[in-house]
Amino acid sequence: MPPPTRFFRITLLRSAIGLPARSTGVLKALGLHRRLKTVYHPVTPDVAGQVFAVKELVDVQEVDRALSDREMKELRQPDSGFYVERRAGTKEAVEEAA
Amino acid sequence: MLSRNVKRALLDTRWPMPPTFLLPWAASLTTVSHATEANPIPLPPNAGRHISRKPIKELPNPFSPPVPSSTGPPSAPQPSAIASPPALSSSVRDLLPVLEAQTPHYITAHLYDRPYLLTQGDTVRLPFFMKGVEPGDVLRLNRATVLGSREYTLKAAAAAPALKSPAHSSTTVIDPVTGDLGSRSTGIPELGVTGLGGTSVAPHFVPHIAKDERLFVCRAVVMGVESEPLRVKEKTKRRQRKIKKVKSKHRYTILRIKELRVRGVEEIDGGVED
Repeated sequence: MPPPTRFFRITLLRSAIGLPARSTGVLKALGLHRRLKTVYHPVTPDVAGQVFAVKELVDVQEVDRALSDREMKELRQPDSGFYVERRAGTKEAVEEAA
Repeated sequence: MLSRNVKRALLDTRWPMPPTFLLPWAASLTTVSHATEANPIPLPPNAGRHISRKPIKELPNPFSPPVPSSTGPPSAPQPSAIASPPALSSSVRDLLPVLEAQTPHYITAHLYDRPYLLTQGDTVRLPFFMKGVEPGDVLRLNRATVLGSREYTLKAAAAAPALKSPAHSSTTVIDPVTGDLGSRSTGIPELGVTGLGGTSVAPHFVPHIAKDERLFVCRAVVMGVESEPLRVKEKTKRRQRKIKKVKSKHRYTILRIKELRVRGVEEIDGGVED
Protein backbone atom coordinates (compact mmCIF):
# COMPACT_ATOMS: atom_id res chain seq x y z
CA MET A 1 0.00 0.00 0.00
CA PRO A 2 1.58 3.30 -1.04
CA PRO A 3 2.07 5.95 1.58
CA PRO A 4 -0.74 8.44 1.68
CA THR A 5 -0.17 11.71 -0.07
CA ARG A 6 -2.94 13.76 1.44
CA PHE A 7 -3.71 14.29 5.06
CA PHE A 8 -6.40 15.74 7.20
CA ARG A 9 -5.06 18.12 9.76
CA ILE A 10 -7.58 17.84 12.55
CA THR A 11 -7.56 20.16 15.53
CA LEU A 12 -9.88 19.81 18.47
CA LEU A 13 -11.42 23.21 19.14
CA ARG A 14 -14.23 22.32 21.47
CA SER A 15 -14.29 19.73 24.15
CA ALA A 16 -16.71 16.84 24.13
CA ILE A 17 -17.68 17.33 27.76
CA GLY A 18 -21.39 16.92 28.10
CA LEU A 19 -21.75 15.14 24.80
CA PRO A 20 -22.65 11.50 24.34
CA ALA A 21 -19.92 9.01 25.07
CA ARG A 22 -19.83 8.18 21.40
CA SER A 23 -18.34 11.60 20.60
CA THR A 24 -15.67 11.11 23.21
CA GLY A 25 -14.90 7.73 21.76
CA VAL A 26 -14.49 9.11 18.27
CA LEU A 27 -12.17 11.78 19.51
CA LYS A 28 -10.13 9.23 21.36
CA ALA A 29 -9.94 7.12 18.22
CA LEU A 30 -8.68 10.12 16.32
CA GLY A 31 -6.07 10.79 18.99
CA LEU A 32 -7.61 14.03 20.18
CA HIS A 33 -7.51 13.98 23.93
CA ARG A 34 -7.42 17.66 24.73
CA ARG A 35 -8.39 20.94 23.19
CA LEU A 36 -6.12 22.41 20.52
CA LYS A 37 -4.47 19.07 19.99
CA THR A 38 -3.64 18.58 16.35
CA VAL A 39 -3.35 15.25 14.63
CA TYR A 40 -2.78 14.22 11.04
CA HIS A 41 -4.57 11.34 9.42
CA PRO A 42 -4.52 10.16 5.82
CA VAL A 43 -7.47 11.07 3.70
CA THR A 44 -9.56 7.94 3.69
CA PRO A 45 -13.29 7.30 3.92
CA ASP A 46 -12.84 5.95 7.44
CA VAL A 47 -11.19 9.08 8.73
CA ALA A 48 -13.64 11.24 6.86
CA GLY A 49 -16.48 9.48 8.64
CA GLN A 50 -14.81 9.99 11.99
CA VAL A 51 -14.32 13.65 11.27
CA PHE A 52 -17.90 13.91 10.19
CA ALA A 53 -19.05 12.42 13.47
CA VAL A 54 -17.38 15.21 15.43
CA LYS A 55 -17.50 17.95 12.85
CA GLU A 56 -18.89 20.45 15.33
CA LEU A 57 -15.85 20.10 17.55
CA VAL A 58 -12.88 20.08 15.22
CA ASP A 59 -11.18 22.16 12.62
CA VAL A 60 -10.13 20.28 9.52
CA GLN A 61 -7.79 21.17 6.71
CA GLU A 62 -6.44 19.00 3.96
CA VAL A 63 -2.69 19.22 3.70
CA ASP A 64 0.09 17.63 1.71
CA ARG A 65 2.22 16.38 4.52
CA ALA A 66 1.84 15.32 8.10
CA LEU A 67 3.97 17.33 10.45
CA SER A 68 5.65 15.60 13.31
CA ASP A 69 5.18 16.80 16.85
CA ARG A 70 8.65 18.26 16.82
CA GLU A 71 7.96 20.23 13.66
CA MET A 72 4.74 21.58 15.08
CA LYS A 73 6.53 22.60 18.22
CA GLU A 74 9.16 24.41 16.22
CA LEU A 75 6.45 26.30 14.42
CA ARG A 76 5.04 27.44 17.71
CA GLN A 77 8.33 28.76 19.02
CA PRO A 78 8.85 32.46 18.63
CA ASP A 79 11.87 33.72 16.81
CA SER A 80 14.63 35.05 19.02
CA GLY A 81 14.51 38.45 17.36
CA PHE A 82 18.21 39.12 17.49
CA TYR A 83 21.56 37.81 16.47
CA VAL A 84 25.00 38.51 17.81
CA GLU A 85 26.58 40.85 15.38
CA ARG A 86 29.93 41.19 17.08
CA ARG A 87 31.49 39.38 19.95
CA ALA A 88 33.25 41.24 22.70
CA GLY A 89 37.00 41.06 22.46
CA THR A 90 37.18 40.51 18.75
CA LYS A 91 39.45 42.58 16.61
CA GLU A 92 36.74 44.90 15.37
CA ALA A 93 35.42 45.57 18.84
CA VAL A 94 38.86 46.43 20.15
CA GLU A 95 39.46 48.75 17.22
CA GLU A 96 36.24 50.62 17.84
CA ALA A 97 36.97 51.02 21.52
CA ALA A 98 40.40 52.38 20.76
CA MET B 1 -19.52 74.65 28.87
CA LEU B 2 -15.92 75.00 28.10
CA SER B 3 -15.41 71.31 28.11
CA ARG B 4 -18.34 70.90 25.80
CA ASN B 5 -16.79 73.31 23.39
CA VAL B 6 -13.56 71.45 23.52
CA LYS B 7 -15.31 68.21 22.96
CA ARG B 8 -17.22 69.58 20.03
CA ALA B 9 -14.06 70.96 18.61
CA LEU B 10 -12.49 67.58 18.90
CA LEU B 11 -15.40 65.88 17.27
CA ASP B 12 -15.86 68.33 14.47
CA THR B 13 -14.24 66.80 11.51
CA ARG B 14 -14.14 70.01 9.53
CA TRP B 15 -11.66 71.44 11.90
CA PRO B 16 -8.05 70.63 11.50
CA MET B 17 -6.79 68.07 13.88
CA PRO B 18 -6.20 69.33 17.40
CA PRO B 19 -2.67 69.90 18.49
CA THR B 20 -0.62 66.87 19.15
CA PHE B 21 -0.68 67.19 22.89
CA LEU B 22 -4.44 66.87 22.90
CA LEU B 23 -4.42 63.67 21.02
CA PRO B 24 -4.23 60.41 22.86
CA TRP B 25 -1.00 58.71 22.21
CA ALA B 26 -2.76 56.05 20.27
CA ALA B 27 -3.80 58.64 17.74
CA SER B 28 -0.38 58.58 16.28
CA LEU B 29 -0.86 54.93 15.67
CA THR B 30 -4.20 55.20 14.01
CA THR B 31 -4.94 54.30 10.54
CA VAL B 32 -5.83 57.00 8.19
CA SER B 33 -5.93 55.48 4.80
CA HIS B 34 -2.42 55.83 3.55
CA ALA B 35 -3.12 55.23 -0.06
CA THR B 36 -3.56 58.88 -0.84
CA GLU B 37 -0.88 60.26 1.41
CA ALA B 38 2.30 60.83 -0.43
CA ASN B 39 3.93 63.90 1.00
CA PRO B 40 7.66 63.53 1.03
CA ILE B 41 8.14 66.76 2.95
CA PRO B 42 8.32 66.44 6.72
CA LEU B 43 5.36 68.17 8.22
CA PRO B 44 5.70 70.65 11.04
CA PRO B 45 5.01 69.25 14.46
CA ASN B 46 1.72 71.05 14.90
CA ALA B 47 0.25 69.92 11.65
CA GLY B 48 -1.08 66.91 13.44
CA ARG B 49 -1.38 64.78 10.40
CA HIS B 50 -0.92 61.18 11.07
CA ILE B 51 -0.06 58.81 8.40
CA SER B 52 -0.31 55.19 8.98
CA ARG B 53 1.87 52.91 7.16
CA LYS B 54 2.06 49.71 5.78
CA PRO B 55 2.58 46.29 6.90
CA ILE B 56 5.79 44.69 6.38
CA LYS B 57 7.29 41.54 5.23
CA GLU B 58 9.96 39.44 6.68
CA LEU B 59 13.13 38.83 4.87
CA PRO B 60 13.56 35.31 3.64
CA ASN B 61 16.35 34.67 6.07
CA PRO B 62 17.25 37.46 8.45
CA PHE B 63 20.03 35.41 9.90
CA SER B 64 21.99 35.06 6.75
CA PRO B 65 25.39 36.52 7.39
CA PRO B 66 26.20 39.71 5.55
CA VAL B 67 28.04 39.10 2.40
CA PRO B 68 31.52 40.52 2.70
CA SER B 69 32.08 43.08 0.04
CA SER B 70 35.14 42.01 -1.80
CA THR B 71 37.24 44.01 -4.18
CA GLY B 72 34.81 43.47 -6.99
CA PRO B 73 32.21 45.94 -8.19
CA PRO B 74 29.62 46.93 -5.62
CA SER B 75 26.86 45.24 -7.52
CA ALA B 76 28.14 41.82 -6.80
CA PRO B 77 25.67 39.19 -7.84
CA GLN B 78 25.62 37.28 -4.56
CA PRO B 79 23.00 39.13 -2.51
CA SER B 80 20.33 39.29 -5.13
CA ALA B 81 21.07 35.90 -6.50
CA ILE B 82 20.68 34.13 -3.18
CA ALA B 83 17.39 35.67 -2.19
CA SER B 84 16.16 38.66 -4.04
CA PRO B 85 14.42 40.77 -1.43
CA PRO B 86 11.00 41.99 -2.39
CA ALA B 87 10.79 45.47 -3.77
CA LEU B 88 9.36 48.19 -1.60
CA SER B 89 5.91 49.40 -2.33
CA SER B 90 5.35 52.89 -3.57
CA SER B 91 3.82 54.07 -0.33
CA VAL B 92 6.85 52.95 1.65
CA ARG B 93 9.04 54.55 -0.93
CA ASP B 94 7.23 57.84 -0.52
CA LEU B 95 6.84 57.87 3.20
CA LEU B 96 9.99 56.26 4.49
CA PRO B 97 12.03 59.44 3.94
CA VAL B 98 9.46 61.33 5.98
CA LEU B 99 9.85 58.95 8.84
CA GLU B 100 13.57 58.93 8.44
CA ALA B 101 13.78 62.71 8.59
CA GLN B 102 12.05 63.00 11.92
CA THR B 103 14.23 61.92 14.79
CA PRO B 104 14.29 60.47 17.35
CA HIS B 105 12.76 57.17 16.48
CA TYR B 106 11.28 54.47 18.56
CA ILE B 107 10.81 50.83 17.85
CA THR B 108 8.76 47.99 19.19
CA ALA B 109 11.24 45.21 18.92
CA HIS B 110 10.39 41.64 19.71
CA LEU B 111 12.76 39.39 21.58
CA TYR B 112 11.36 35.90 21.68
CA ASP B 113 7.71 36.32 22.57
CA ARG B 114 7.65 39.79 24.05
CA PRO B 115 7.61 43.28 22.62
CA TYR B 116 9.91 45.98 23.95
CA LEU B 117 9.30 49.64 23.27
CA LEU B 118 12.76 51.06 22.76
CA THR B 119 14.55 54.16 21.68
CA GLN B 120 18.18 55.03 21.34
CA GLY B 121 20.02 55.23 24.63
CA ASP B 122 17.58 53.06 26.52
CA THR B 123 18.78 50.61 29.09
CA VAL B 124 16.70 47.49 29.16
CA ARG B 125 16.72 44.94 31.89
CA LEU B 126 15.41 41.90 30.14
CA PRO B 127 13.13 39.68 32.18
CA PHE B 128 15.38 36.72 31.51
CA PHE B 129 18.99 35.70 31.38
CA MET B 130 20.11 35.72 27.80
CA LYS B 131 22.25 32.74 27.10
CA GLY B 132 25.23 32.72 24.86
CA VAL B 133 26.10 36.39 25.14
CA GLU B 134 28.72 38.20 27.16
CA PRO B 135 29.07 41.80 28.26
CA GLY B 136 30.30 43.81 25.35
CA ASP B 137 28.61 41.79 22.67
CA VAL B 138 26.75 43.75 20.07
CA LEU B 139 23.33 42.38 19.24
CA ARG B 140 21.36 43.26 16.22
CA LEU B 141 17.62 43.34 16.81
CA ASN B 142 15.88 42.38 13.64
CA ARG B 143 12.23 41.83 14.45
CA ALA B 144 9.84 44.62 15.13
CA THR B 145 6.21 45.41 14.73
CA VAL B 146 6.29 49.19 15.04
CA LEU B 147 8.83 51.71 13.93
CA GLY B 148 8.00 55.33 14.47
CA SER B 149 8.84 58.86 15.35
CA ARG B 150 6.79 61.53 17.05
CA GLU B 151 4.27 61.77 14.27
CA TYR B 152 4.82 58.90 11.94
CA THR B 153 4.45 55.24 12.45
CA LEU B 154 5.38 52.31 10.33
CA LYS B 155 3.42 49.30 11.38
CA ALA B 156 3.85 45.67 10.58
CA ALA B 157 1.30 43.67 8.72
CA ALA B 158 -1.70 42.59 10.65
CA ALA B 159 -1.67 39.03 11.76
CA ALA B 160 -3.46 36.64 9.57
CA PRO B 161 -6.89 35.67 10.80
CA ALA B 162 -6.32 32.94 13.31
CA LEU B 163 -9.71 31.36 13.57
CA LYS B 164 -10.89 28.32 11.79
CA SER B 165 -9.33 27.07 8.66
CA PRO B 166 -11.01 28.28 5.53
CA ALA B 167 -13.34 25.77 4.07
CA HIS B 168 -12.10 25.72 0.52
CA SER B 169 -8.77 27.38 0.06
CA SER B 170 -6.05 28.97 2.03
CA THR B 171 -5.78 32.48 3.30
CA THR B 172 -3.70 35.09 1.62
CA VAL B 173 -2.69 38.30 3.28
CA ILE B 174 -1.88 41.31 1.19
CA ASP B 175 1.42 42.81 2.11
CA PRO B 176 1.38 46.53 1.50
CA VAL B 177 5.12 46.90 1.73
CA THR B 178 5.66 45.05 -1.44
CA GLY B 179 2.12 45.40 -2.64
CA ASP B 180 1.85 41.79 -3.62
CA LEU B 181 0.04 38.84 -2.24
CA GLY B 182 1.39 36.18 -0.06
CA SER B 183 2.64 37.83 3.09
CA ARG B 184 4.50 35.34 5.15
CA SER B 185 4.65 34.75 8.79
CA THR B 186 7.01 32.32 10.42
CA GLY B 187 4.41 30.99 12.76
CA ILE B 188 2.41 29.56 9.96
CA PRO B 189 2.99 25.99 8.96
CA GLU B 190 4.15 26.44 5.45
CA LEU B 191 5.88 23.20 4.83
CA GLY B 192 2.97 20.88 5.12
CA VAL B 193 0.29 23.15 3.89
CA THR B 194 -1.36 22.94 0.57
CA GLY B 195 0.11 25.39 -1.82
CA LEU B 196 -3.06 26.83 -3.20
CA GLY B 197 -1.48 30.19 -3.78
CA GLY B 198 -1.32 31.37 -0.23
CA THR B 199 -0.78 30.55 3.35
CA SER B 200 -3.26 28.79 5.47
CA VAL B 201 -3.53 29.27 9.15
CA ALA B 202 -4.27 26.82 11.85
CA PRO B 203 -6.06 28.22 14.86
CA HIS B 204 -3.34 27.43 17.31
CA PHE B 205 -0.46 28.82 15.35
CA VAL B 206 0.28 32.34 16.48
CA PRO B 207 1.78 34.30 13.66
CA HIS B 208 4.78 36.32 14.62
CA ILE B 209 4.85 39.58 12.91
CA ALA B 210 8.18 40.48 11.55
CA LYS B 211 9.37 43.67 10.08
CA ASP B 212 11.68 43.89 7.22
CA GLU B 213 15.17 44.12 8.56
CA ARG B 214 16.20 46.27 5.67
CA LEU B 215 14.17 49.19 6.93
CA PHE B 216 15.95 49.89 10.17
CA VAL B 217 19.13 49.33 12.09
CA CYS B 218 18.86 48.58 15.77
CA ARG B 219 21.93 47.61 17.72
CA ALA B 220 22.10 46.77 21.38
CA VAL B 221 25.11 46.23 23.59
CA VAL B 222 25.09 43.71 26.37
CA MET B 223 25.93 45.72 29.46
CA GLY B 224 26.01 42.97 31.98
CA VAL B 225 23.95 40.75 34.17
CA GLU B 226 21.84 41.85 37.07
CA SER B 227 20.76 39.61 39.89
CA GLU B 228 17.72 39.88 42.06
CA PRO B 229 17.88 39.52 45.84
CA LEU B 230 17.64 36.01 47.05
CA ARG B 231 14.07 34.99 47.63
CA VAL B 232 13.18 32.23 50.03
CA LYS B 233 9.78 30.68 49.94
CA GLU B 234 8.69 28.33 52.66
CA LYS B 235 6.81 25.32 51.45
CA THR B 236 4.88 23.47 54.08
CA LYS B 237 2.77 20.40 54.05
CA ARG B 238 0.04 19.47 56.43
CA ARG B 239 0.71 17.35 59.49
CA GLN B 240 4.39 17.46 58.87
CA ARG B 241 7.06 19.41 60.70
CA LYS B 242 9.44 19.77 57.81
CA ILE B 243 9.53 23.13 56.12
CA LYS B 244 11.08 23.16 52.71
CA LYS B 245 12.75 26.43 51.82
CA VAL B 246 12.92 27.10 48.14
CA LYS B 247 15.53 29.62 47.16
CA SER B 248 15.50 31.53 43.96
CA LYS B 249 17.86 34.13 42.68
CA HIS B 250 17.33 34.94 39.07
CA ARG B 251 19.68 36.71 36.76
CA TYR B 252 18.69 39.24 34.17
CA THR B 253 20.60 40.50 31.19
CA ILE B 254 20.91 44.22 30.70
CA LEU B 255 21.01 45.71 27.26
CA ARG B 256 21.63 49.20 26.08
CA ILE B 257 20.28 50.40 22.78
CA LYS B 258 23.32 51.76 21.07
CA GLU B 259 21.90 52.64 17.73
CA LEU B 260 18.46 52.98 16.25
CA ARG B 261 17.94 54.54 12.91
CA VAL B 262 15.72 54.23 9.92
CA ARG B 263 17.46 53.37 6.75
CA GLY B 264 16.99 55.41 3.63
CA VAL B 265 15.39 54.19 0.47
CA GLU B 266 18.62 54.54 -1.49
CA GLU B 267 20.43 52.53 1.13
CA ILE B 268 17.86 49.79 0.90
CA ASP B 269 17.83 49.77 -2.87
CA GLY B 270 21.57 49.71 -3.00
CA GLY B 271 21.61 46.64 -0.82
CA VAL B 272 24.07 48.26 1.55
CA GLU B 273 24.87 45.99 4.42
CA ASP B 274 25.14 47.71 7.74
